[in-house]
Amino acid sequence: LVKWTSSCLLMFCNDGAHFQKNYTLVSHVELFLFDSGGKELFAEILDRLWEQPNALCIVYDVTSEESFNNCTKWLEKLRAQTSGMHIPGVLVGNKTDLIDRRVVERNQAQEWAETNGLEYCEISVKEMENYEAPFRILANSFHQLYKEKVETFRSLV
Amino acid sequence: MKFTDYCLRSEGAEVVLATSSDEKFPPENIIDGRSDTFWATTGMFPQEFIISLNKCVTINKLTIQCYLVQTLRIEKSMSKEPVDFELCIQKELQSTEGELQIEEFSFPEMQASYLRFIILSAFDAFVSVHRVIADVIA
Ligand SMILES: Nc1nc2c(ncn2[C@@H]2O[C@H](COP(=O)(O)OP(=O)(O)O)[C@@H](O)[C@H]2O)c(=O)[nH]1
Repeated sequence: LVKWTSSCLLMFCNDGAHFQKNYTLVSHVELFLFDSGGKELFAEILDRLWEQPNALCIVYDVTSEESFNNCTKWLEKLRAQTSGMHIPGVLVGNKTDLIDRRVVERNQAQEWAETNGLEYCEISVKEMENYEAPFRILANSFHQLYKEKVETFRSLV
Repeated sequence: MKFTDYCLRSEGAEVVLATSSDEKFPPENIIDGRSDTFWATTGMFPQEFIISLNKCVTINKLTIQCYLVQTLRIEKSMSKEPVDFELCIQKELQSTEGELQIEEFSFPEMQASYLRFIILSAFDAFVSVHRVIADVIA
């Protein structure tokens, strides 16, 4: 967890247009996070980066309707890539510090997340508010998957 | 001809490298002679492990018991140290829903002191390796 904090900040402060950033988190499972910049939505590079994902995290800007609407495109693209297989994950509303400029309401986003089988949380990277939550959710879902698989392995013989 | 399994801890085999190590499912489970214990991978592929056979021996057949492995590559080294690996075989395995994958590879008189198994891809996020058997001509 200690390791995360710095990497997670890095992830959000960096210019998302960069090619790719990988972070390693060590506990019982290792999580590799690929940060795809928003400009890559229709880039071919994603097809290679997104091979066999096991969890997903979509970050949108609560002050931008367009950013929220794009979440559908991201999810569609991912579902196409994983032939419809359910991938656990989290929808993250960022920039909650910009109270006056907020246009996407929590209920609306939460509902969309639920409809699409995702968890939901809100953060402000600027204020360092709740920024660990998405990582915790991702790590938990990956670890849960591991525990289930190990039970399957145990039952084989 | 008589064969002995050399991939056993009791025969002096050791796992000298493994890219995952959950202490509940350690790589040593591969060489304990049991199929019910296993090594579990804990992250992204490729994943690999190297078994030291204690000395250079002549292998006739290799068997691996695993689950959810898709692309498997086996390499061997005849050196004193785990270096200079050469490809033995690379194979796409079949998925076996609910039962172990048991893969046998025949290598007439192959010399090896180290065996390296690389799991390049998988049918799921994690795989297990239960046993490796190296039939050595006694
Ligand atoms: N006010 C505010 N601005 C933010 C916050 N997080 C990011 N930004 C700004 O939003 C812009 C885009 O951020 P970036 O991380 O590059 O987005 P990405 O393309 O999705 O990776 C930058 O100018 C950031 O400084 C936040 O929590 N609050």
